[in-house]
Amino acid sequence: MTVKIRFFARFRELLGTDIMTEVAPGTMFTPLITSIARNNPAGYAAVFDEKGAFHEFVILMKNGKRVELSDAAKTPVIDGDEIAVFPPVAGG
Amino acid sequence: MIAIQIDDVDIGALIAAAKKHGTGAVVVFDGVVRDDGITEMELEAYEEVAVKELEKIAKEAINQFGLLHVDIIHRIGRLTVGENILIIIVSAGHRPDAYAGSRYIIEEIKKGVPIWKKELTRDGGRWVPGEHGHGKGHG
Repeated sequence: MTVKIRFFARFRELLGTDIMTEVAPGTMFTPLITSIARNNPAGYAAVFDEKGAFHEFVILMKNGKRVELSDAAKTPVIDGDEIAVFPPVAGG
Repeated sequence: MIAIQIDDVDIGALIAAAKKHGTGAVVVFDGVVRDDGITEMELEAYEEVAVKELEKIAKEAINQFGLLHVDIIHRIGRLTVGENILIIIVSAGHRPDAYAGSRYIIEEIKKGVPIWKKELTRDGGRWVPGEHGHGKGHG
């Protein structure tokens, strides 16, 4: 299974974007993003706290729909999913 | 017209097009790059999601305030001081609805549309902190 991970803004600068990655069936949101973020310590620290939980300000989406942080550990990804991870928005 | 784009727009032409039958007021919001000691501003969007959310906000504004026309154009890319960032044009039969509808749209954009700004300075740059209401999540 292949999924795409898109980071935006500060997260993108640290972790890259449009990352295509192979995942095993049953992989959940949180471990997937954790494994990608571990490639860059500053990027990891931007997204996760010292306990390995998402910072409370992080916003997650799956195929354009919000995934609550409290659901991330139990939300599976499936083939073709687009996962987005970004900081608070600042448009306008 | 609802768009996220690099190019600027002709505000005069949009105002003319907004004067639908029954229009008594057109309100234009033009957000511009402020001279805060920056060299440029860089804007980034999660475009597919942002456009959908702008469309939803426009529809809500039309329903809530009886607007006759709505344009929302949010620019991305690198912009210099004084350039247009966000143009909102609404028309309504009367000014209270036009003003209220315009205000509603900008406040909703600030709450939840995935767009980010980075202020570029001679020393580097800084991301403009988002309003930490955790995003309203129109999706």
